[in-house]
This record gives sequence, structure tokens and C-alpha cells, in this order.
Amino acid sequence: MPELYYLGAAGILLLLSMVLQPNARRDFFIALFVAAFGVPVAVASVKLSGTLFAEAYRVDLFSQVFKVILAGGFFLVVSLCTELEGVEERHHLEFYLLLTTSTLAMMLLVSSVELLTIFVALELSSYSLYLLVPLRRGYDTAVEAGIKYLLVGTSASAVMLFGFACLYGVIRTTRFPEIIQVLPAGIGQPLATIGLFLALCGFFFKLALFPFHFWAPGVYQGAANQVAAYIATTSKVAAIAILTRVVSLCGGNGEYMAKVLVALSIASMTLGNLAAIRQRDMKRLLAYSTIAHAGYVLIGILSLSQGGYAGAIFYSLAYLIMKFTCFLVLVKVAYDGSDLQIAQLAGLHRRSPLLAMALMVGLFGLAGIPPTVGFTGKLLVFTAAMERGHFALVLIAMINVVISLYYYLLVVRAAYLLEPDEDLPRILLSVPVTLLLWVLVLVMVAAGIFPTYLLQAADGAARALVGG
Amino acid sequence: MIVPYGHVLMLAGTLFALGVVCTVARRNLVMILLGVEIMLNAAGIAFVAAALRWQRLEGQAFVLFIMAIAAAEVSVGLALIIRAYRRTGSVDEDTYDLLKW
Repeated sequence: MPELYYLGAAGILLLLSMVLQPNARRDFFIALFVAAFGVPVAVASVKLSGTLFAEAYRVDLFSQVFKVILAGGFFLVVSLCTELEGVEERHHLEFYLLLTTSTLAMMLLVSSVELLTIFVALELSSYSLYLLVPLRRGYDTAVEAGIKYLLVGTSASAVMLFGFACLYGVIRTTRFPEIIQVLPAGIGQPLATIGLFLALCGFFFKLALFPFHFWAPGVYQGAANQVAAYIATTSKVAAIAILTRVVSLCGGNGEYMAKVLVALSIASMTLGNLAAIRQRDMKRLLAYSTIAHAGYVLIGILSLSQGGYAGAIFYSLAYLIMKFTCFLVLVKVAYDGSDLQIAQLAGLHRRSPLLAMALMVGLFGLAGIPPTVGFTGKLLVFTAAMERGHFALVLIAMINVVISLYYYLLVVRAAYLLEPDEDLPRILLSVPVTLLLWVLVLVMVAAGIFPTYLLQAADGAARALVGG
Repeated sequence: MIVPYGHVLMLAGTLFALGVVCTVARRNLVMILLGVEIMLNAAGIAFVAAALRWQRLEGQAFVLFIMAIAAAEVSVGLALIIRAYRRTGSVDEDTYDLLKW
């Protein structure tokens, strides 16, 4: 099972980090091998199912599909770390160790069906990230971002814990299968609603959803580029998974919950898109775009139907690929680990046509332009919401898509139409990176035109969630 | 039941509110972390109250886990604060304004 594999890998990395002399190339290859081997392990265990630890931990198609996505995301982020200039060399193995433990914790999170398991897994993944953010060479903003991330994150965890306590006080169990039976009847009590909402606050924090989104721009800007890539992609996928699982606890008739989520989704999308327009720093722009996309995913989740959940799962995978492509371009252009300003993208189409094209396809995918996979994801999510009658919500979401197109096009314009002040050298890409870029671009376009296979996976996962 | 559930929940809620005030009224990084600790302990009290109400042990187990995790979180938080203090020389919250909130 993938969790055991990553646990073993984390242990090995821990031992290696204490014993070996730092050597960037060798550390990178160790981590790459670990991550690459994890993906087939995750894929091989897709069909497993069962429960462990007195039903506190469930392995079903929903969790296994997400574990494959998480393993893939981890591998992609490690492949970004060829020249880990942003992190001091003696910290490299600890960097990889923290990434591994965070991935392990996220895999535990998507399999948790009990409040305590969720809490422990969430805390483990969060602490690994709190430690990863300040691990950056030469930037004071990194330490400040780490402090802010930690303080906001632990406050959100404490709020979530109080929510769990209120829930437990009303429903005398912490296990999801039993909560499903008791909660729809007991949701009328104010304590249950308060408890559920407070509990969701912790997940909203991880997903960077309004009103717990304010850590995202600062943390993305302060952290090393690869860490920002990890937080933006893999961490969000795990948050979507657990949010889907918790919201699906309501059964199909959580009307009040859906209304609250509608309000949060609208606020998140609008705020994320409007604030991104004025950003000059690429990572901050991507952070606000993350906030907006959290709103889009929430539209799929709040439709409280199997189609909605499938749409959210598909969207999370599509989002992972698209965001990762943007971060790949960012890491390659800012090869010394610095913060990339949008103006620094000028002339990218001459410096590296492949990077510019990948950036364009990735950003168009995030905007939701056909035939990319981002369009398919949005289509699924919006149709699921329309089926439940949230017409105004979808209308506002479409307006937001248009607004988001503006700032994505700003970046594409910088890459293609602006000229740099002085002549910048061509960016040479190694063969694996070129291959990866081509694969990503092809996947983004092909999965947009022929999404059947991924759609089946997402549907199966959603069915396992609703039926189980 | 010796103490009514509502009373203990009110205590936990008051303690939680105090923790929130301590966190939000930021003057000092260590105080913010203390506020988080108070919030975590308030949640712990709420869990014990719920466990007593339903006469089940899951709440008590939860509190044990909360205490262990709070200890881990404090260690991570203080390590970060010490690093920040060594870099900038102060734990005053106002000095950390490089990043726009």
C-alpha cells in the first residue's frame, strides 16, 4: 500500500539525512527515485478496499484514486527540484523528507473516515509544510511567511478541533459511517450546525477558500518555488478530497450547508480573480488564482450529488496538472530560485518556445478555454451545479471565468509580446524536462478532448464515496 | 452526570473565545502561539464534556491525542519563532511586515 511505502521512504530519507554528506545531485536522484517508484505503487493498489483500525481508516476507490493523484503530484514536484537553488544544500535531504512526510500524511488524510484520524493526518501534513516554507536560502520573507503560515494554520486547526468537539457532543460518535446515519436528523440542532461549520473551517484553510485565504499570497511568495508548487498543487488536492468526504456526510439534503458553501464559493472566486489582476509577482498571481479555483471546485462539491463529486475530483486532477505546468515554467525561468515577476517573463517565446507554449496552454487551461482539460473540468462542475438549480451561482462563476481570463492573458502577453530591456539568454532545457513539458501539454489538450478515461476514474471514485 | 453538559460547554466556549482574543490581538508572536494553545485546550475540555455526556471513551482518547499534537505543534512553532528571532532580532509582530497581508 502506498502509505507504507512512503512511510518507509520517509524513514530511509531521515536516516540518510543524518548520515550522508550533502550532495545536491545525488540527493535529487534519491528523491526522484523514491517519488517515481511511489507512483506505480499507488496505481497498483487502486483496486484495494477494506477498513483498518476499527473502521477509522477506509481504503476504497475514492481514496485510492486520490492517492494516485497525490503520488503523481509528489513525483512532479520532485522532478522540479533538479537545481534546488532556493534551498541550502545541507537541507536538501530534509527538504525531501518533509515533502515525503507531507505526502504520506495527505494519503492518510484521504483515507480517513474518523474525526481523530482526519485531525492527526491533517496536522502531520500541515506541520511538514510549516517547516518547509522557511527552508529557503537568503530570503527574509521566507521566515516571515513561515511564521504567518504557522500561526494562521494552527489557529485554523484549533477552530476545527472545537468544531469536532461540538459535533461529537451532539452526535455521540466520531466515525463517518455512523455520523452519516445520525447527522441528517440531528442537523437541526444549532450546536451541530456550528460544529460542522467550525470543522469545515480547517479544511477551508487548507484549500485557501474565503475567508481563510489570506495566508496564500504571502506564503507562496515567501516560500521556495518548489515548495510553493507543492502547496499549490498536491496540498490542494488533498484538501478537496477531505472536503468532499466531509460534505458528503450530509447525505443529499444539506440545503443550509449548500447555501453557506454557495456564499463562500462566490466570495472566494470573486476575491481571488479581482485581486489577481493587480499582481506583479507571478507566485502571488498564482496564489490568488488558487483561491479562485478553490471557489470553482466548491461549486462541484456543494451540488451534493454524485455528478458534482465526480466533477470536483476531475477538476482537482486537471487543476493539479495545469497549476504544475505553470510552476514548472516558473521554476525553469527563475532558475536561481528567486521570485519571478511577470515582467521577467518578457521575451519568453524567443528564449524558449516550448516553455512559452506550455505556459500558454497551462494558463488557458486554468482559465477554462476549450479544448483544454480545464474547460472539461469546469463543464462538469457547472453542469452538476445547474442540475441542482444553482443558476445564479453558475452565472457568477462564468463572469469570474471571464475576469480570470484577463489576468491570465496578461501573463501570456508578457511571455509572447513584451520584449525584455536587455538580451536575455536562451533557456536550455534538459531532455527529461523537455519530455515532461511535452507530456503535460499533450495531456492537458488530449484530456480536454477525450476525457473518458479520467472521467470514468472520477465517476468510480464518486460512486464509492456516495455508495459507501 | 455531576456537571450538566451545557455548563462545561459554556466553560469551553468561554475559554475558546479567550484564546481567540489572545490570538487575534497580536502584539507578540509568542502570545499568538499561547492563544492557539488555549484554543486547543478549550477544545479538549469540550471533548471531555461530550465524552462524559454520552458515557463513551472516544472523547477522552481524542484529548490525549490533542495534547500530544499540541506539544508537537508548539515545538515546531517555537523553533520557527526562534529562527525568526535570530534573523530579525525581535518577536514583536509589527516587525514582520515584508509580506503584504
